[in-house]
Parts: sequence; C-alpha cells; structure tokens
Amino acid sequence: MGAIRKGGELVDSLSSSKVLVVGAGGIGCELLKNLVLTGFKNIEVIDLDTIDVSNLNRQFLFQKKHVGKSKAQVAKESALQFCPSANIVAYHDSIMNPDYNVEFFRKFMLVMNALDNRAARNHVNRMCLAADIPLIESGTAGYLGQVTVIKKGMTECYECQPKPAQKTFPGCTIRNTPSEPIHCIVWAKYLFNQLFGEEDADQEVSPDTADPEAAWNPEETATRATASEKDGDIKRISTKEWARSTGYDPVKLFNKLFKDDIMYLLTMDKLWKKRKAPTPLDWQQLENSETAGSGLKDQQVLGLWGYCELFQHSVETLRSQLQEKGEGAELVWDKDDPPAMDFVTAAANLRMHIFSMKMKSRFDVKSMAGNIIPAIATTNAVIAGLIVLEGLKILSGELESCRTIFLNKCPNLRKKLLVPCVLDPPSANCYVCASKPEVTVKVNVHKTMVLSLQDRILKERFGMVAPDVQIEDGKGTILISSEEGETEDNNSKFLSDFGIRNGSRLQADDFLQDYTLLINILHTEELERDVEFEVVGEAPDKAPPPQTNQEEVNSITNGNKDSAQPSTSSKAPEEDDDIMIVDSDEEEGVSSSSAAAVSSTTKRKHSDAETGETSTKRPRMEQSSAAASPNDDDDDDIIALD
Amino acid sequence: MIEKEDPVISEEEAAQYDRQIRLWGLDAQKRLRGSRVLLAGLGGLGAEVAKNLILAGVKGLTLLDHEQVSEDSCRAQFLAPVTAQGQNRAKASLERAQNLNPMVEVHADSDSVEEKPDDFFLQFDAVCLTGCSRDLMVRVDQLCSQHNIKVFCGDVYGYYGYMFCNLGKEHNYVEEKPKVVKPSKDSDDGPEGKKAKVDPTETTMVKKMASFCSLKEALEVDWTSEKARAGLKRTPVDYFLLQGTFTERRSTQELLLLRWS
Repeated sequence: MGAIRKGGELVDSLSSSKVLVVGAGGIGCELLKNLVLTGFKNIEVIDLDTIDVSNLNRQFLFQKKHVGKSKAQVAKESALQFCPSANIVAYHDSIMNPDYNVEFFRKFMLVMNALDNRAARNHVNRMCLAADIPLIESGTAGYLGQVTVIKKGMTECYECQPKPAQKTFPGCTIRNTPSEPIHCIVWAKYLFNQLFGEEDADQEVSPDTADPEAAWNPEETATRATASEKDGDIKRISTKEWARSTGYDPVKLFNKLFKDDIMYLLTMDKLWKKRKAPTPLDWQQLENSETAGSGLKDQQVLGLWGYCELFQHSVETLRSQLQEKGEGAELVWDKDDPPAMDFVTAAANLRMHIFSMKMKSRFDVKSMAGNIIPAIATTNAVIAGLIVLEGLKILSGELESCRTIFLNKCPNLRKKLLVPCVLDPPSANCYVCASKPEVTVKVNVHKTMVLSLQDRILKERFGMVAPDVQIEDGKGTILISSEEGETEDNNSKFLSDFGIRNGSRLQADDFLQDYTLLINILHTEELERDVEFEVVGEAPDKAPPPQTNQEEVNSITNGNKDSAQPSTSSKAPEEDDDIMIVDSDEEEGVSSSSAAAVSSTTKRKHSDAETGETSTKRPRMEQSSAAASPNDDDDDDIIALD
Repeated sequence: MIEKEDPVISEEEAAQYDRQIRLWGLDAQKRLRGSRVLLAGLGGLGAEVAKNLILAGVKGLTLLDHEQVSEDSCRAQFLAPVTAQGQNRAKASLERAQNLNPMVEVHADSDSVEEKPDDFFLQFDAVCLTGCSRDLMVRVDQLCSQHNIKVFCGDVYGYYGYMFCNLGKEHNYVEEKPKVVKPSKDSDDGPEGKKAKVDPTETTMVKKMASFCSLKEALEVDWTSEKARAGLKRTPVDYFLLQGTFTERRSTQELLLLRWS
C-alpha cells in the first residue's frame, strides 16, 4: 500500500476541492457516502434517471417512498443527513447536455464516473481530456469490478484501447436459422417493433429468401438477392400493415408467424440438410393443452399452450394500447412494461419450441431481452472505496501511485481478490487523445447516406454527440451541421453525391467535446452483407479482437435507436455496464449471466435497464508495464500476469 | 437452523431483490431470508456490515453495541444521526438501519458483547464481530463452530484492516458451473452445421465442501515450523501487525524479523 499521509494539507485540500460524481446509482450512492464521510465538502452529482424498485437492493440512499423521484436529488438529500455541513449540488440531467461544457468541467479538481453506459463514458472521457481534469473511471457487474485513473498525457484515455463492439447476430440467423434462445429473443423484440413500434428495415422477421446458405448454387443467391431487394423480401406490404388489416387478430398473427412462415422456411431445404428442421405450430391443435408451472410466477416455464395464451393476451393488450394512442402511434419496448415483456416472452418461447430449444421462464427471458446485469451492494461498496483511495492519491499529488484495480470473484494464485496494475501511457494511435486523431473508414460511397455517416459512424461508433463535418475538398464544403435543420436536406443523399470518393478526407468536429477527427474514406464495393462500414487503420498490436467488425452485423436494437442523444427527460438510454474482467487461473470464467448480455440502444422509461459487456483483460495486461517480478514483496503487490 | 418456513418469495420481495436473485439465485435468497444474524460493534465497519446485510434481505439483524455515539463516530458512520451524541450507538443506528429495508427485523441491544452468556449467541445463524477483543473473538469462535454457526470477525486501523471467517470444519456449499457442451460425434457436422446446440447459458450446480480452521489456530501458527516458514513471505504484513494489537505472546518485531529473514 502506498504511503499516503492524511496530514493537515490533504484535509484542507479535501474541504476546499470541488468534485463531480457522474451517476447516482449503484456506485454513485456508495461513492457519495464515502466522499461525505471522508470530508469532501463540495460535491456535485448528476444523474438523468429516476428511482426504480429494483434499485433498492443496493442504492441505499433511496427508499421505497422515493420510487419515481430523481436519483441525483434524493441522493443529495440522503447524503446531507450524514453531514449537513457538506455542500452538495444535484442535477437531474444528462451529462451529455451541452450546458456541461469544458468550462463546467474545469470547475472541478476531480471527476468520478459512476456510469453504466459506454456513450456517456466516452463523452466524459473527452470532456475531461479537453478540460485536463483527472478522471476516475469504474464499473461493476455482479461480483466483479474495476477502477482506473485517466489523466491526459499521462495515462491511456478511456478510448485508447478498442472496446469490443456490442454483440450482434446476422440477419439470416435471426430470420431463418436460430440456434440459441437469444436469437429467438432478438427476433421477438424485432417482431414487437414491426407490429407495434417503429418499423426498422434492419429488424426484419420474415424468412430471408436471400440467405446465402439457402441457395444450392451461387447464381441462385444473386438472383434471390436482387429479387428480394426488388420485392421487399417476399412481403409486399409491411408487417404492420398486414397486421392492421387483420385487426391484430392474435390467432391470425400466430398462424402466420408460427405456422405459415415456418412452412415457408421448410421449403428452403438446403438450410435443413445439416440442421434440425423447425416444426410449425397449429393453434387449433394446441388449444387447451397443459399450461403447468409452480413457484414464483416469473420463474415458471409454462407449457406450450401457456405461451399461446400469453401471446394472445399480450397482443390484445398491446393492440388496445396502440388504439388508445391514436393514429400513427408507436409503442416503445420496455422490459418493465408487463404486456411488452409478456409479448416477447411468449413469442420467443414459441419460436424456441419450433426450433427445438428448451423454453425459458419470463425471468430468464427478461434477463436476456432487457440486458439486465445482476448487481449487489457489496461489489459497489468495494469499488466506491477504491475510487476514493485513488482520489486521495490524486489530491495528494501522487499520480504515479495510481493504479488500475480489478476486483475478482475468486482469489488468484497469490490469494488476492484485488489486483492492481500499473497504468499504461496514452496510445499513440488513439483516435481520441492522440494529438491529431485520424481514422480510415471503409464504406461504399454510393450506398452510404449522410444520415448514416452521422448516426452510425460518427455518433454510435465514434462517440460524438453533435458532429459537424466538412469535406476537405479545398472548398470546405459543409456536409453535416450540428445546428438543427441546417443540413437536414443532405441526410438522405449519398456520400458520392458530394463528390466523396476513394481517398477523400472528412473533418469531423464535436465542439462540445473539443474533439476533431480526420476521416479517410476508403471506397469499397465489397463489404459483407449487412455491414455498412468498417474501421481500418489502427496499429496491428492494437487491432480489435476478430469477432468485432467482421461477421456479426445486425445490432440488436430495441425500437428507438436514438440512444446517442439521451434526452434530459426521465427517459434514459439503454445501458451497457462496461467492465473488463481478469481471467484468473482459478476462475471458471465469466458467469453465464453476463456472458449472455447483449446491448441495445434505446430510450427507456425507468432506470435500471442494464446491459453488460465483458472482455478478457488479458491482452491488455500483457501490454502493461507491470514490471515487478512474481516474488516481489513490493507494497503495491503488482503482479505480472502471463 | 435457517428457517425455511416461508418457501414462497412474495412479489414485492421478487421485485426488490430482482438484481441479486439474478446473481446468486432464488434458493440463496430464500436462505438469506431465513437467517438471523448478530452484528457486534457499530463503528464505521459495523455500519457498513449492517447496511450490506440489511440490503441483502436477511430475516433478522441484531445490532449489539454498548458504546456511545461520540463526535468521531459521526464522521465514521452514517447510521447514527449527528444529533445523537451521547446515545447508545446501537440504538442510535436503529432507525436508519431499519429504513434501509423494512422487510428485515432489525433490533438494537445496548449490552456489552463481553457480558453476553453463551446461549445468547446460539440463537443466530451467523455472528459478525467488529472491533472486539481477541479473547472474546476466540471464545465466540469456538462456541459457534461447535453449533454450526458461521463466524466472521474484522477490524480496521486507518488504512489497514483484516477479516477472518470460520464457516466450520465441514462447510458444504454448491458452485454454479456452465454446462459442458460435449462435441458432436455426428459425421454430418460440416463447417456450416449450426446444430441446435446445448444452451450456452445453462449451468449446473456442483456440490463442494470446505474446511476452516478456528481463530485460535489461525492466530497461534508456529512460524518456526518448516511448513509455516515456506508460506511466510506470502503472508501479508498486516497479519503480523494485528498480532501486535492482540497479544504479547510473540512480539511483532520477532515475527516481522522472521518474515524478512
């Protein structure tokens, strides 16, 4: 343990320093308590969310009576109880709101993240780089957690290391050949949107005739592909319109989705040569068979007819909801909205049964569909403690003694549960913190729209919030303006319409983040099916792990894909609790619940739609300069993991 | 000893405990729900333990502390109000502790843990001792392990701290492991073959047993023995420091010299 003297100087520094806590949830509550008890006198806390009953098992500053209220506000009030003389300012707002500009961040000596989603983390990372304020980053998932320190010029920033992209599945797996429950659950969520929500061309549920696997010879694929593009994938009217024409009749819907479409799939016989073929369901035949189930309602697995009934009831309820909302209404899927959750549970299970998979309880489906990360109080308590310890090092001017610390589930070979690692210096090629960040992006300039460039590439992939883009064509042609409405007409035009071609360079700015990114365009006609773009140009040893860009495509969205722009209302974006996990030699590996986690990107009503991403930390550790020999008795216990 | 009288978790509990049930399972939650725990010492450490146990949803938690709230304790712990100076620490912490989770039965007892008779401890499934004397901890540890009561001890000293647990000579538990997918022997399994796999999220429970030593044994290790000397370098310095706070049996200096030699 480093020698930290809590002498008079540090105490003074504590009472005068202003610190910012971003997030008032699991980590945030513990952190606020720790800061106040440690003697921090000036604390600002921000959170856009409201309190949900599922928070109460760990966010101890909240009680049942506070459900529905602002987290930041209630957290402040509860923390003041322990120390009425503390000065706490609470913001019920999104940290991505432009009000919180570089000047705002400069007020603070220290910023501590207590977030649960990558978009916000990226944003705060950039703001702290711009303001040159030290940032303590952290995350937890179940029993696991980690803390790290980010200081411009001295350490890696949050985006120096490529983070694995959210797991996605190819369209044909979802539409034709699901082999795991998660495929069926994703399908069910797409179905919800197609019937009741915002229809999305990337969320097709009908059989995919252009599936390359279905064709007996390559020419056939090409023919099918062009045919489907012209005919709109065997359906000539949208799923929603068709459903409307039947009055959202549950039995008719059932027979189309679980009988007719399955029978169609069966005609694509090549798919079933090496796979177990699906078995269509017939409503009449199933009527009134067993429903079963005992114990906690949520955790029961119903019989097949049980799910048929659940399907029927949920469709009827959702239909009414839609009618109530009026003409042109759309529902947004929310795991905490019972009929929406019922619908996905029923539809997913029916499909699982069709494809010979063991059906799952509503409880399990909710985990996967809602990307829920299990969470307990103690992990957050440990991490919050570590955050303060790192914070004290920073305030004492001892940045060199700061570490990345991992909290494991089981002790490692040296019987340690907490594993510190030396911080890495910034990556020279980082597309955020390098002095002149630059990337190369492969696109088809004839097929990529300006809107896609803005939303998919700049916002989703490169974490910008309000991009401005100009073309380096000698004229400084403005492609995208962050001012609303200014370049709206450009949205549906293609990049090539502006003379953008192979070798073109675009300058993208986010003025709020004080961030400029130079993008080199590499034109290609050979992107994989359903892939819109590919990022190239990172140094070989930092290349992202193979599964990220290449195969997996359809991002699993959840209706409204607008998560890059969280609003200041109580709606919050879908979260993804970002945590890297060390695989200790003794561990079995990541627990199954977090391994199955999948991200979504959408607004949601209440708090706590948590998702998880995990990646093995090993590659990064190997790069780290953890130089201590295994037998080193150094106070800091740095372990060189191999 | 753990009561499982109420096998059904209510909808309210299911909603509140949802995120932790998803981590440790419904069965574990039921066991927590049936457990009575004793917590001795309501300083900073005790307050944290109280919070964590109450949030987890145990059946009952008894807060035992004969000390009074002092000015220091206001800073150290967040359960006793700043206005409660002079009051008994356990009693002063009761209200906020209870508010953390109304479904837990929280009691406050202002007696000294040293004065409690043996049978007092026997009413609990687990005992947590914070900031207690060595003799008391050894006594309670011995008593509890005879009755299959789990024991946890701990204390903090500035930036240092320790925790000891004794779950018994024969502690039975289960570990959740992912179900192993056996490779298919089917010759038809071509590269495109996407057979309906065994669900990768399925897990299985494996039964295990662990044996714990008593606190007395842990503190009275003969560090001159061959076996102990081998493990000496890997034993944290803290272990030896806390020997110094407990006992004059072997001086801290001697032990540290042994370790560094």
